[in-house]
Amino acid sequence: MTADERSFMKSIFHGVIEESLIFPYPEMDPEERETVQMILENIQRFGESEVDAAKIDREHKIPDDLLTKMKEMGLFGLTIPEEHGGLGLSASAYARVIQEMAAIDASLAVTIGAHQSIGLKGILLHGTDEQKKQFLPDLATGERVAAFALTEPGTGSDAAAITTRAELTDDGQHYILNGSKIWITNGGFADVFTVFARTSAPDSGVKPRITALIVERGEGLTNGPSEEKMGIRGSSTTEIFFDDVKVPVENVLGEPGRGFKVAMSVLNSGRLGLASGALGAIKRLIQMSTERVNERKAFGRPIGEFGMIKEKIARMSAEAYALESMTYLTTGLIDAGVEDYSLESAICKVYGSETLWYVVNETLQIAAGIGYMSEYPYERLMRDARINMIFEGTNEILRAFIALAGMQSPGKHLAEVAKAMREPIKGFGLLREFAVQKARGLVLRERLERVHPVLSREAVIFEEGSVLLAQRVEQTLRKHGREIAEMQFVQKRIAEASIDLYALAAVLSRTTRALERKGEAGAQREVHLATAFSTLAKARIDDRLVNFERDSDELLKEVAAQTYADGGYAFDIV
Amino acid sequence: MKILVPVKRVADPDNANKMKVTADGSAVTSEGLAWKVNPFDEYAVEAALRLNEKGGSGDVLGETVVISLGDDEVIQTLRQPLAMGVDRAILVKASDGEIDSTVVAKALAAVVEKEQPDLVLMGKQAVDGDSNTAGQMLAEHLGWPMATFAMSIEVADDGKALVVGREVDTGVLTLKVTLPAVVTVDLRIVAPAAVKNGVTPDDHAYNEGARYASLKGIMKAKKKPVDQTSLSDLGVEASPLVEYTKYELPPARSGSATFVESVDELVEKLRTEAKVL
Ligand SMILES: Cc1cc2nc3c(=O)[nH]c(=O)nc-3n(C[C@H](O)[C@H](O)[C@H](O)COP(=O)(O)OP(=O)(O)OC[C@H]3O[C@@H](n4cnc5c(N)ncnc54)[C@H](O)[C@@H]3O)c2cc1C
Repeated sequence: MTADERSFMKSIFHGVIEESLIFPYPEMDPEERETVQMILENIQRFGESEVDAAKIDREHKIPDDLLTKMKEMGLFGLTIPEEHGGLGLSASAYARVIQEMAAIDASLAVTIGAHQSIGLKGILLHGTDEQKKQFLPDLATGERVAAFALTEPGTGSDAAAITTRAELTDDGQHYILNGSKIWITNGGFADVFTVFARTSAPDSGVKPRITALIVERGEGLTNGPSEEKMGIRGSSTTEIFFDDVKVPVENVLGEPGRGFKVAMSVLNSGRLGLASGALGAIKRLIQMSTERVNERKAFGRPIGEFGMIKEKIARMSAEAYALESMTYLTTGLIDAGVEDYSLESAICKVYGSETLWYVVNETLQIAAGIGYMSEYPYERLMRDARINMIFEGTNEILRAFIALAGMQSPGKHLAEVAKAMREPIKGFGLLREFAVQKARGLVLRERLERVHPVLSREAVIFEEGSVLLAQRVEQTLRKHGREIAEMQFVQKRIAEASIDLYALAAVLSRTTRALERKGEAGAQREVHLATAFSTLAKARIDDRLVNFERDSDELLKEVAAQTYADGGYAFDIV
Repeated sequence: MKILVPVKRVADPDNANKMKVTADGSAVTSEGLAWKVNPFDEYAVEAALRLNEKGGSGDVLGETVVISLGDDEVIQTLRQPLAMGVDRAILVKASDGEIDSTVVAKALAAVVEKEQPDLVLMGKQAVDGDSNTAGQMLAEHLGWPMATFAMSIEVADDGKALVVGREVDTGVLTLKVTLPAVVTVDLRIVAPAAVKNGVTPDDHAYNEGARYASLKGIMKAKKKPVDQTSLSDLGVEASPLVEYTKYELPPARSGSATFVESVDELVEKLRTEAKVL
């Protein structure tokens, strides 16, 4: 296997620690770091002088002149190569910029994120030279804006079930597109859409063929009104209708019939923008919290002196450190040419969105009364944060993906896992192969050789956790084989343990680098965060994996079934 | 017009609490400090760019050049003005120990002889040393007219003079300087309508403050020329007159605040506890 095909997390499921993938902790080259620092400083100034986040939320709109200024600023061409008029930022640099934007305003971050992380990403990843030349220059300046259109009224998570049709014309020169998409970010003003449509008859059964198309706004393409939303209210979310839209065959992205793969590869990288955006919001919230705990007094003391407040602040910081470590480890993997980061980016998305939810909730709790008042930003930040657990793959779907993709043989991708989820019995033959392979012997504990000795206890937590994970995976597959595709209670535990294991690995790598650079005294604060996080992670991993086979799974299913049958909660005390 | 803007690299004032001095008080340690363009110098850059452009049209009316003294690291600091739109930069290589305001003024004078700008626009002072002398000394060396603490600048007499509003204790003192001249600027020079070059429409909306650089500008700045020279190339002797004998950190602030319920209580406390009344 060449270096590029390895996946750190997939190896962990097999009991193998591919240490060389994550050590040393990646970093930007000095020149890019300098550039990014300048970019961030100027974005902060941009935010201070141009952005009124409360107003954007109140008016449900990013003002037109602000959008123009964002384009002039260059925020729409971050990832587009310089030869096509963009800035050509690396994955790490792009994620860091999105982080900064998200700290300023979530609607702005989502708008430029939908444009670049998903809207035009298909062209970057799968576009032909002609397609790149045709579309990227205008997209880089923001002259045209991109959107990603997958979800339909009838289907969200189950993306393979879309019904939008693309019919090839008799002369074979065009597709005729009919159908509609829902909740499309940037839908109100985007000009270039990456659209996924079915290019096989809906009832042809066996293999739905989905094709990715670049569709330009024009005859037959219309959008619905802006949806009223809970949060990220400035970001445009609309329905998109296709009424006999003529799309030239040259606009097929990737191969006809292979659109599902295009969608998954786009979302794999898009999820990292979401994770770094979550981090941006988190850092801002922790800053708000720390200001508040010093200012606010109760019982004659600043509330920051109370243990229950300290516990919140400490945990927020430790989890933020883990999120930051894993997000930039993953973007570093991409920049180093690693091709399979699907599991890692799904982990970053789930952990990022849920850590943000935790942090925004605790920050609001610390602010208490004022936190609940619309006059203050807390409740808006909470509303803005909520979306992250829903879009770009719900966290449930991603948990299932993490567990199932991890359990498959290496090199298998989400498309197959999705298939396995749709057709559990037919699609999961692959699992058997792995189960057999694993049945050959016990999983031995592999060592993390490159972790700094100061972190040896934390390294053991990781090593033991990963052995346990590999054993549980093996045990599950041996016992249940392909039935695992239907066992979501177990999937959830496996996914959650993997999330913490990846976080731990990233924290160990990053903290080791800090120790090597700055010595024990200099890196003391990083070591504290690493140790604090390891403690939290160990408790969670143990909870998921030590008590792994649970009778309560069946009991809970039964309770759910009864509740369904009752049509709700059936009890009362009178 | 051709404008030369001297800029100094200073420790980020927002991170001043990271400032440390050596145990014997002989020096300030620069470890862990973030560096920035001195804020007043950045206002001068902003004012220079406003003088030399036609509003937001992209039309440029003259060359704007920044100059700094320091070591190679200063080049990175110079990228910010370049990214904002300055055309090129000059670095006079020198170490901190070699320079004080007098050496800076002499070096700048030597560069002015070479570059022949119409205007030297600079910050009224650097926020680290707060000396407020380099501009005045430079004008003296050059024998040029000078206006300090500018809060407004207006181009007059077909570009042959500037009308400068100076902020003084009692109000605003307006004077006219014939170019070439040295003008040092104060904070208010970056107010939306503080600079009028006679070309930019009066209703052009400038933001308050120094402009942010576009990301394209940042990329371009990497390719803009930074000419390097040295004190000896300029024929300037590195013999500072000012000697720093000792550094001390300010006493830590106690940071305690007492809240009072009424004005009477306040007066009482000011009298009895604070003993200031
Ligand atoms: C503000 C906003 C912006 C959006 N932007 C875009 C966009 O730009 N482009 C785009 O294509 N889409 C976009 N979406 C759509 C978004 O990606 C979908 O809402 C999301 O994928 C979930 O689909 P759904 O809402 O249909 O939920 P469903 O798929 O109906 O799921 C409902 C619930 O069931 C759970 N569930 C479903 N299947 C499973 C399973 N197999 N196992 C366990 N649990 C399961 C889900 O996790 C969820 O909790 C956007 C949505 C919003 C709200």
